[in-house]
Amino acid sequence: MSGHSEDPVAEESKRFFTFFNLSMALVAITGIEVVIIYVKPIGGAAIIGVLFLTSIVKFIGVIWWFMHLRWDKIVNTVLFLLGLVIALGTFFAVIYMGDTHPVIEKFEVTAFTQDWKAEKAYTKDEFVKVGENFFQSNSDHNSSENFEQNSNLWDQVDGIPHQFSWKITQADTVEIHSEKPENPFFLQFFPTDQEIVEGSQVSLLSQSATTEDFRIKVRSEAFWTEN
Amino acid sequence: MSESHALEHHEPITSTGVPNKKILMWAFLGSDCMFFGTLISTHLIYRKISATVGSNYLDIRDVFDIELTSFSTFILLASSLFMALAVSAIHKGNLNSTRLMLFGTIIFGLIFLACQVYEFTHFVHAPGNELTLSSYRGEPHVFGSTFYVLTGTHGTHVAIGVFWLLGWFLYSFTGKMSVAHAIDVECCGLYWHFVDIVWIIIFPVIYLMEYAF
Repeated sequence: MSGHSEDPVAEESKRFFTFFNLSMALVAITGIEVVIIYVKPIGGAAIIGVLFLTSIVKFIGVIWWFMHLRWDKIVNTVLFLLGLVIALGTFFAVIYMGDTHPVIEKFEVTAFTQDWKAEKAYTKDEFVKVGENFFQSNSDHNSSENFEQNSNLWDQVDGIPHQFSWKITQADTVEIHSEKPENPFFLQFFPTDQEIVEGSQVSLLSQSATTEDFRIKVRSEAFWTEN
Repeated sequence: MSESHALEHHEPITSTGVPNKKILMWAFLGSDCMFFGTLISTHLIYRKISATVGSNYLDIRDVFDIELTSFSTFILLASSLFMALAVSAIHKGNLNSTRLMLFGTIIFGLIFLACQVYEFTHFVHAPGNELTLSSYRGEPHVFGSTFYVLTGTHGTHVAIGVFWLLGWFLYSFTGKMSVAHAIDVECCGLYWHFVDIVWIIIFPVIYLMEYAF
């Protein structure tokens, strides 16, 4: 990689100054790194950028001159770079994989408060409120003038129906639980399609509740996010 | 040509034109890059996903001693200069200078190790800020695991390097050491410089970045 020298001893002697200058440069750059951390003349992200840059400069300086790659055959450089490239590939892959924070774009819990109305079209499984009780429709039908509790059109349900709906950017585990012990609720599921997890579910609760009464926890890879 | 100019007379000719010992050392250093690459990325990932201790943000600056670590960094960088000069001296056949430079490298390597031992002891016993392998301030945390494994592995490499250098230093007194051993000292030097470049990455990434924000 370099020119031929007739006098190896003279060539080695010349390198003394190269090594000394490099060593001084390394010390100076390290000094700059430490001073930047103390003084903080620039923002945090910029400091990290500077540290990244100075590390690369120092790294190259050591392998190129101290480790003699400057004067060695290319095969040594190739061998080392092979390992270095694989190491960097692993590094960035791990960092990338770890940077998959799930985002809870929507999480709502809504209690059903719709009163039964006469002469209205109802669909199967729809909930209505009559007095203090809740009923679920057994089939698609049009309501008559009066609510017939004992007909086969409606079933009274034990509890207050609430609709849970969510939209999450990515998740492999979703947990929703009530924060009020007197109004227990727990739901856990593992989405098979882990990108844009969106859905809803109706559940019966013993008491009326709002979104604030629940906590949703979402995991994607190694990251947990919660509302 | 090369580095091999002085070696051609002492090492058998190979198809690559590079002494086999040197090829082997570069291949080893390449593989060691992968080893440290995984350790560093593991530390960074866990630093990110375990950013709190209990309900508080993990501020490791309370336990780090950046002045001491900066000092040991300068020491390691200086040791690399000694090492480069030792390799240069053996190529020139200057045994006295080789011995002196090896001694300097050993001393600086030992100072670095002493700093690390002091640092680890200080971290583990820091009053109120104890950083152990499995906890920080008495609460379970993974920071200590990844930190000690990474810096401890580097320290082990330094210790191995010191023993290796010590071997050549002692050998130089036997009267058998000659320019024919230049390739051996050079391989030892490659290893030592590698330990230096690993620290060049560890110091800003593990220590200084904690102070960036």
